[in-house]
Amino acid sequence: MVRPEAFVDDAVAEIRDEIGDANAVIALSGGVDSSVAAALAYEAVGDQLTPVYVDTGLMRKGETEQVSETFSYMESLRVVDAEERFLDLLSGVTDPEAKREVIGEGFIREFEREAKEADADYLVQGTIYPDRIESEGGIKSHHNVGGLPDVIDFEGIVEPVRDLYKDEVREVARELGLEELVAERMPFPGPGLAVRVIGEVTEEKLSVAREACHVVEDELEEYEPWQALAAVIGKATGVKGDNRVHGWVVSVRSVESRDGMTARAQEIDWETLQRIQSRITGKNENVARVVYDVTHKPPATIEYE
Amino acid sequence: MRIDVVDNHGQFTHLEGRALRDLGIETETIDNETPPEEIDADGLVLSGGPDIERAGRCGEYLDLDIPLLGICLGMQVIADELGGSVGSGEYGGYADVTVEIVDDEDPLIGSLAPETRVWASHGDEVKELPEGFSLTGKSDICGIEAMSFEERDLYGVQWHPEVAHTEEGEAVFENFRTICE
Repeated sequence: MVRPEAFVDDAVAEIRDEIGDANAVIALSGGVDSSVAAALAYEAVGDQLTPVYVDTGLMRKGETEQVSETFSYMESLRVVDAEERFLDLLSGVTDPEAKREVIGEGFIREFEREAKEADADYLVQGTIYPDRIESEGGIKSHHNVGGLPDVIDFEGIVEPVRDLYKDEVREVARELGLEELVAERMPFPGPGLAVRVIGEVTEEKLSVAREACHVVEDELEEYEPWQALAAVIGKATGVKGDNRVHGWVVSVRSVESRDGMTARAQEIDWETLQRIQSRITGKNENVARVVYDVTHKPPATIEYE
Repeated sequence: MRIDVVDNHGQFTHLEGRALRDLGIETETIDNETPPEEIDADGLVLSGGPDIERAGRCGEYLDLDIPLLGICLGMQVIADELGGSVGSGEYGGYADVTVEIVDDEDPLIGSLAPETRVWASHGDEVKELPEGFSLTGKSDICGIEAMSFEERDLYGVQWHPEVAHTEEGEAVFENFRTICE
C-alpha cells in the first residue's frame, strides 16, 4: 500500500521538477484520479496551472455543474462546452476501439487549443496503473493512454498517479483533504457515457444512459458499490399502454472491487431491482426492458466497451 | 530477501509486484527476455499471460536453482518445459472457483486446506503433471489447480493469488517467501 504522506511530497516535487517555470494544463474530469492529479499539480506549480474541464456531452447528470462548483476555488478553471464537436466526431462511429480513439483525439485537440491560450507546454493527466496495463495488454485503450494521437503539441505529459491503483488514489485523496470526492464519486470512465451505449453514439441513447445511470446510482447507494452503472445495449420489443414498443434494452451493473482489476457482480435484492426497472422504464418511454448483469470480471470487464 | 516478478504480459503482473511489496519484500518486475545470468533474486514469480509463445526465456529460469512460483501461464510454462502437457480446458476457468487442497503438508498451499476460494482467468490448463511433481490442488472445473515439486522448489497455481478477490492470496505469497528463505 502506498504511503500517502510521502507520496504527496514526492509527487509534488516531481511535478515541480518536470514542469519548472513553464505553464501547464490539467485534464480535469471530476473523477477522483484527475482530481488528485489536479490537486497535486496545483500544489506543485500553483498559478502556472490551468485546469480544463471539457464538457463532452458524454457526462453524467449534473456532472458539469458539480465539477464547476467543486473546483471553483481554482480561479483559472476553464469549462469548455464541446458537446456539439464530440457528437459530430462520433457520428457514424460504431466500433468500440474506434470510439475510444475518436474521443481520445478529441480530448487532446481541446486541450491543445486551451493550452495554446494558456501558453502551456505541459499536459497533466490522472492516468492510473490499470489504465496503462489494460492499454498495453490490448484489452481496452484508455482515452488518456492508448487513444493518444501520434502528434501531440505538448513538450511533455505529466502523470503523477501513474503507478497507483484506485484504492491508493483514494488514500492520497484523503491525504489531500478531498474527502467528499472520495465518499461521493464512483469511478467514471474517461470516454464517459460513450462506452455505456453500444454502437453509434446518438443523443437519444445518451439521454437514456444518463437518466438510467442516475437512477442506478441513486437506488444502489446503500449497497456501496465500487461502481454502479446502466448501459444501453440494444433494442427489443415491449408493450406499453397497449402499444407495441421497439425500445432500448438497458443493462444495470453493480460491482464491488478493490482496484478495478477484478470485480464481483453484487447481489441486489429483488425489490430494489424492480424499483430500478420501474423508474427507468417509467421515465423513459423509449426503454422496453431492463436487465441485470451478473457477470464478474473476468470474464467480463466492468464497463461495456 | 528479494523476489522478482517475470512479466509474461499478463494483465495482473503488476499486482504480483504489489502483493510482494505489500508484504515488505523487495521486488522488481523484469522482462521475460532477461538473460538468466543477470537475474539476482532469492526467488522468482513467473506471471500469467495471454500466450505461451510469448513466455520469452522463462524456461531457462528453471535451471537457476532458486524457488519458482508459476502463476496461471507461468505454471503452464513450468509444466510444458519439464515434460508435462498443457491444453485447453473443457470449461474455461473464470472468476469464482473453489479449490480443494489435496496435500495439506504442501509448503505453498497446504496451509489453505481443506479448501480455498480463488479468482481465476484461464482457457488453457495443465493436463498432465511433469515427472517429479505432485498434485496439490484441484477443482470441479480444472483437474490440476496446483502442483509442487518440493525437492526442486518449483510450484505452480492455476489461479491468481495476487488479485483482491482471491480470499487467501496473501498467504500464498507469505508461504512462498518462507520457501525462499
